Amino acid sequence: MIAGGLALAPAGAFVLAALALFVIDAFSPGKTSGGVLAGVSAFGAVGALAASGVFLLSGAASGGIELFGGQLVVDGMSLLFTFIFGSVTALVAVASFDYVREMPHRAEYYMLILLAATGMSLMASANSLAVAFVSLELASLPSYALVAYLKGNRGSVEGGLKYFLIGALSSAILVYGISLVYASTGSLLLSDVADAAGEAAATYPGVFGTGVLMIIGGLAFKTASVPFHFWAPDAYEGAPAPVSAFLSSASKAAGFVLAFRILLVGFPIQSVVGAIDWVLVFQILAVLTMTIGNFAAATQERVKRMLAYSSIGHAGYVLIGLAALTGVGGASAGATVLGASMLHLLVYGFMNTGAFLFVALVEHWEIGRTFEDYNGLARQAPLACVAMTVFMFSLAGLPVGGGFVSKYYLFAGAVGAGVWWLALVGAINSALSLYYYSRVVKAMWIEEPIEGRTIAHYPTALYAAVLTAAVVTVFLLPGLVVFDGAAFDAAAALL
Amino acid sequence: MSVIYELTPAIVLLPLASFALALFFGAWLPRRGAVVGSLATAGTLGLSLATLAWLLLTGEPHNQTWYTLVDADATFDLTFGILIDQLSAAMLVIVSLIAFLVHVFSLGYMNDEGEPGLPRYYAGLGLFTASMLAFVIADNLLMAFIFFELVGLCSYLLIGHWFTEDAPPSAAKKAFLVTRFGDYFFLVGVVGVLVTFGTAGFAGSEGFPVLAEEAIAAGETFFGFGAETWFSVLGLLVLGGALGKSAQFPFHTWLPDAMEGPTPVSALIHAATMVAAGVYLVARMYGFYALLPTVLAIIAFVGGFTALFAATMAVVKDEIKQVLAYSTISQYGYMMLALGAGSYVAAFFHLTTHAVFKALLFLGAGSVIIAMHHDEDMWKMGGLKDEMPVTYVTFLFGSLALAGIFPFSGFWSKDEVLFETLIHALGGSPLLFGAYAMALAAVFLTGFYTIRMVLLTFHGEPRSDTAEDPHGVRWNVKFPLSVLGVLAVIAGGINLVPVEKLSGGSLHVAFLEGYLERDVGLLTHGEHYSELLHDHAGYTSAYVGSEVTTLLLGAGLSLGLALLGAGSAYGLYRGAVPTRHTEKLGGLRTLLMHNYYQDEYQVWLAEGFTVRLSSAADTFDQGVIDGAVNATSSVSLSAGSRLRRIQTGIVTNYAALILLSLLALLVVFAILGGWL
Repeated sequence: MIAGGLALAPAGAFVLAALALFVIDAFSPGKTSGGVLAGVSAFGAVGALAASGVFLLSGAASGGIELFGGQLVVDGMSLLFTFIFGSVTALVAVASFDYVREMPHRAEYYMLILLAATGMSLMASANSLAVAFVSLELASLPSYALVAYLKGNRGSVEGGLKYFLIGALSSAILVYGISLVYASTGSLLLSDVADAAGEAAATYPGVFGTGVLMIIGGLAFKTASVPFHFWAPDAYEGAPAPVSAFLSSASKAAGFVLAFRILLVGFPIQSVVGAIDWVLVFQILAVLTMTIGNFAAATQERVKRMLAYSSIGHAGYVLIGLAALTGVGGASAGATVLGASMLHLLVYGFMNTGAFLFVALVEHWEIGRTFEDYNGLARQAPLACVAMTVFMFSLAGLPVGGGFVSKYYLFAGAVGAGVWWLALVGAINSALSLYYYSRVVKAMWIEEPIEGRTIAHYPTALYAAVLTAAVVTVFLLPGLVVFDGAAFDAAAALL
Repeated sequence: MSVIYELTPAIVLLPLASFALALFFGAWLPRRGAVVGSLATAGTLGLSLATLAWLLLTGEPHNQTWYTLVDADATFDLTFGILIDQLSAAMLVIVSLIAFLVHVFSLGYMNDEGEPGLPRYYAGLGLFTASMLAFVIADNLLMAFIFFELVGLCSYLLIGHWFTEDAPPSAAKKAFLVTRFGDYFFLVGVVGVLVTFGTAGFAGSEGFPVLAEEAIAAGETFFGFGAETWFSVLGLLVLGGALGKSAQFPFHTWLPDAMEGPTPVSALIHAATMVAAGVYLVARMYGFYALLPTVLAIIAFVGGFTALFAATMAVVKDEIKQVLAYSTISQYGYMMLALGAGSYVAAFFHLTTHAVFKALLFLGAGSVIIAMHHDEDMWKMGGLKDEMPVTYVTFLFGSLALAGIFPFSGFWSKDEVLFETLIHALGGSPLLFGAYAMALAAVFLTGFYTIRMVLLTFHGEPRSDTAEDPHGVRWNVKFPLSVLGVLAVIAGGINLVPVEKLSGGSLHVAFLEGYLERDVGLLTHGEHYSELLHDHAGYTSAYVGSEVTTLLLGAGLSLGLALLGAGSAYGLYRGAVPTRHTEKLGGLRTLLMHNYYQDEYQVWLAEGFTVRLSSAADTFDQGVIDGAVNATSSVSLSAGSRLRRIQTGIVTNYAALILLSLLALLVVFAILGGWL
């Protein structure tokens, strides 16, 4: 057992790194070396990663540590997700060294990333609806600014603005939903909400049900699930590619961890099912999200936009974790499928981040954005293309990386929970996804190279980040065992 | 576990290492990998001899799983393991001895002749030897299958060694495809065995032959069939692989073509080891076949028929290696006959002696081919005996052994095959008389074509310029020939059953029989098989008069026929300038020269039947399957582009869509939740 304040060490590492950047940059604003900025950020992120990893695997926080009168809780799930945020942030920080090298406001860029990561790690620990809302905003507001970071770029600014407007709308929906739940249960603390939920669902089913549904809507925005996904393709495509990586991997995972906690702790399905069957809501959302994400991805011409839609499709796979909590197969079936969702987000944190960072590399080389522009790239950058091939096939669920194992757990868990048709939809969508992922691989390896394309230099930091992500993705194929016990335990603790 | 069994994996790993070395560093190795290969096989030979000696002295076998490929909870495990019993220990010695001698001989045949691609050649030999040895020590059918396939792959690579010419690649493909056709059934059989028994282990009370025995005794049924019927199906499926590899009718057509490979390769894989794999496989799981009288009868008949059928074709061939190729097919027919007729010991005895004298004959032919500057036509040879005495003497010994002339090794083993078949036929299995008659007729033909080959090659006047002035051969050719020449004379001594019987049992000289029949606790010994054959297949022995009378009668008959065949050949082809007599056969000659049109009908099967079937399947695939797939993908893509249109890029539309969807959800769940 660890002492109260120490349990927040992972989030603290993010905050401290952000504040350190603030101080460092104050000496000569705008002139601090990129190496120092990226280094401090990566150091903070690795600190968070290490702290959460150690707490998680040592079982120090098993059983959960409640802080501030139960407003925050540090348990297996929050640590697992903080681990994801730490690793994604570290990769993005390293990769950004090359990406933002020539750009203004670099210190602010790194600070915003770290503050958003702080918000996300608080989302993972939020145990009351008020903290949930505040931490979600803490994660979102820096994200809006980050998407619009390329101030001179029309796509970046437009994406940022759309993200902000839709985000504002969704926050309004979320906070309105929270107010309705508060009105019907009389509490914001999730455990108290849970205690009062049964009575509220019986007495004020309309108020309570609308509140829950609106909260789900607000969270679906964060996870980029259909129909709250509209901002995602535009924002991911417009944003600097490392920011896209950050948002599509870490921010999405943050939305999911909040959804897991609020729904499973605050609204236990057996007490609220009379008013609102949220498992059915998620079944609908999962099918829609998987299908629309993958079908739209199949017709894109630009790689980054394809990845944006594929990221929506993956949100659909993860939603199976909530959609399969039917109670069929008992608690162990539920724990399996929910743990599989967490594991998928963990693997996804590496393979999707890596794929977007590869796009960042291509943007850095300024060789174009469409599939055709990638033609024959393997001749000029074989190592990076091997890494991208690993990401693509692992995203598709082929057994070259951890994506195979986590998807297998997800579908097997869904079958075990009696919703085989969800697994079937998932499998069909995976088959479709292989089509558009292999288009990238085909372009890189099989097509003839474009004449006259030259690659002047190979940025070390971006390469390091891409290759690290690839190595970890491959390692997670046999290595996911290290985490699966922790994930299934964390899931079982919630159910 | 004793030290020797801890070293058993090295028997396989040594040649495997030589394969890897020759493959990757062959160009820099001494003699392009030949030295490493010879050393590795010499080490393997040493270890095999030590293993055999250990087993002989202590009687302690070895049967252990070595590596688990798939560890399954519900169904069956897939494992690799090592089984050393009498059969595999003896086979190890045979394979490694021949492999070693072939490596040495290759120095003369390949290196001295300056052939291209030597590292590739030695890599192939190494991998072949390793796969064959692993096949021999396999403790279960699945592992045996895997290495059986590797052996097939290596033969493909080695036959096609001179791939820039026309014939070798085509012969390699043929060998690969024909044996693959048999292996297809084998694979189905392996799966069938695993599903039926939950194990594919050969030996011990947990092995599938013993489980099969118990199932038959308990009268179990499988998939609606009686145990014996179902096991016969499995046995025939596995037999498909064995017939393919051992070139038995109708799968024999690949072997003569495979002579396109380098001659040492022919000696190693088409005489002594790979072709032996089929016979070995049947012997390996003999405890299973001994339960199945129908399958045994099929094996005996296929064997007897192949022995005769191949021998008739050998009679008219003009090329020295072709004669040897058909004689190989014919001799493996004898081994199959012995297995089918219930004589496990005789089959392995003949396998042993044949490995020795056939390797000798092929290497001797290789020596002649070197001398003749790679001309293989016997009508251009003649008179070589004075020019190459070592080759002549050893080749003659090998030929006399092949012809079954007393007291050379082939006489003893072939005689035992025939004797055992005869007494089982007399003992109430009259069907075996048919197989016996065919095998006996083949004895005459064997004597004939063997002596014809010797006379045409070595005797008479030289019939070409190269034959007058042949190319000399060095120690690396003469050494293997001498070793094998001595063995071809004396190898029969390992199992002098007739002598033991004539002496009334006072002389114990049937060493091999005693060795194979000894019970070492694995239920793979000859004694156990005899009981099974007696109880299940109804094989009993009976004699004409007494046992000794029958013995003398049988031996006299086969020796007489062999001498008659040899004498006729001598009469027809002796003298300084022998004449061709095959024209006198008329239409029969055409039939024989075309190998009974076996190739033609198989080509028709491939082109007329398979190609048509394939193109029909192709049409179906292109039209129906691909059509469905294409339709699915175009539907997906058009659905995708419609979905794309929702994404207008106008943020007010997004907000409107979000709110409308939320409202729709609210309405649906309000109705479902009953709060509207």
